[in-house]
Amino acid sequence: MEVNGLKLELGYIFIKDIQFAEKSKVENGTLYVNKEEVKAIILEDQNFKSADVELAKPGESVRIMPVKDVIEPRVKVEGPGGIFPGMVSKVETVGSGKTNVLKGAAVITTGKIVGFQEGIIDMTGPGAEYTPFSQTNNLVLVCEPIESLKQHEHEKALRFAGYKVAMYLGELAKNMTPDQVDTFETPTLVEGIKMYPELPRVAYVCMLQSQGLMHDTYVYGVDAKQTISTLIYPTEMMDGAIVSGNCVSACDKNTTYHHLNNPVVHDLFAEHGKTLNFVGVIITNENVYLADKERSSNWSAKLAEYLGVDGVIVSEEGFGNPDTDLIMNCKKIENKGIKTVLITDEYAGRDGTSQSLADADVRANAVVTGGNANEVIELPPMDKIIGHVEVADVIAGGFDGSLHADGSITAELQVITGATNEMGFNKLSAR
Amino acid sequence: MIITNNEKVYDKYKDKIKIIFVQGGFKDVLVKTRDKIHEGHELLTHPLSSSVKPNETPFKSVMISDDKRSLNLDSLYIIENSIMTYDNFSKHKFGMMTDQITEDFKLIDLTVLESALNI
Repeated sequence: MEVNGLKLELGYIFIKDIQFAEKSKVENGTLYVNKEEVKAIILEDQNFKSADVELAKPGESVRIMPVKDVIEPRVKVEGPGGIFPGMVSKVETVGSGKTNVLKGAAVITTGKIVGFQEGIIDMTGPGAEYTPFSQTNNLVLVCEPIESLKQHEHEKALRFAGYKVAMYLGELAKNMTPDQVDTFETPTLVEGIKMYPELPRVAYVCMLQSQGLMHDTYVYGVDAKQTISTLIYPTEMMDGAIVSGNCVSACDKNTTYHHLNNPVVHDLFAEHGKTLNFVGVIITNENVYLADKERSSNWSAKLAEYLGVDGVIVSEEGFGNPDTDLIMNCKKIENKGIKTVLITDEYAGRDGTSQSLADADVRANAVVTGGNANEVIELPPMDKIIGHVEVADVIAGGFDGSLHADGSITAELQVITGATNEMGFNKLSAR
Repeated sequence: MIITNNEKVYDKYKDKIKIIFVQGGFKDVLVKTRDKIHEGHELLTHPLSSSVKPNETPFKSVMISDDKRSLNLDSLYIIENSIMTYDNFSKHKFGMMTDQITEDFKLIDLTVLESALNI
């Protein structure tokens, strides 16, 4: 039967190891990478004077820092468009057909864009428990910018280097038969709303950080701060329609990997037709200007009402001023008679006793937390550092003396990439 | 009107936009902003940064309305909450401030403000 709406088959090719080799290929679960070809891709951009490429595998005594983005290699096998539309592929609507995924592999970009830093991934030890990227086979890009490069240009160049290398690796899987195929289908609104009349209709409001240098997110290549809240098919996200350009305070930033693998979307699909009817996704931004916050939250509430849903899950990105967006979304959607569940994280002080968010409301009465980012953690020294170790003292959540002489680090959890992720991607729970 | 303790913002906009330069830290900017809200100015940008924590960066720029009206309770709520959040964070000061890092913090504050100015 012809599908109205979007249907995407995600084909997973499981990657259990990564190695450098003469020829880049995927064979028997190993991703072989030609280092020189990857370097050449990075150095296509004249903003980089040199580049190095390193491997980091689960269990190795390796610390990666400062991390800018994490990207999963994917490739379009069938259907319109390419991965990361509007960025490195044409602005074609994605999210249908077939996409192959190198599941278990990741490209990680690192770089010192500004003097203060963030983003640690430890591949072993206590820090590894807090980040999902200690479990992936990582290709780490260490790119050195030319002298005169401005921070904005540096950030953009790094971002694109990550996408291009991820595309290059993804292409290796284009003609492969996947180990596992999962199918995701979203019908048109008219059809979807009628599908399971006995089940509650649920939508997802995905908040995107959008506030300036190293605080931005892009949708089909558009800076999210210049958008108003809108609708997106969840499968479009799986093909890279949303990418990350933000990395300050790494614990609660959604990397591009998170957007590709959004756990709220995956869980809503898993429950679709069982406990709920997953109707759609609303994306909304988090701007600095208060009038923008009002406008965007008005629109997300209006769209939720328009979709006729009974409940909405809202995920935040970041902390501080986005807490105001979160609470505005919550209040306005609840005022439409729609129940909300919020996913956030906490800055509750090192002892966990301070108010967790910078805003609050009585209607925010169903909240899931990704953890307390102020929690202090000890990271033992690692045998190998990829990136720049000297930045530990000035890392967000680091403090004077946080880098010790033996290479160990005492810092708040917020230094670790993905540690308190507000999509709920975390591995640890209090249970 | 901009309230700032960031010379980079002050130098760039002092001839274009009404601007109050605060000699002091992050909290001094918040307190000055609160005083102006008490006078009837409306808060236009959120006074908390989204990622760079208030005990980490010493620089802050906030935009408020040029005109004064009766006390805006939404503005008051946000600035009071922001001061409370600042006080929570300032229990643990982050150190290590080289000239380059200071310049970078000024730049980030400037770009966050400019994201609201639409420049």
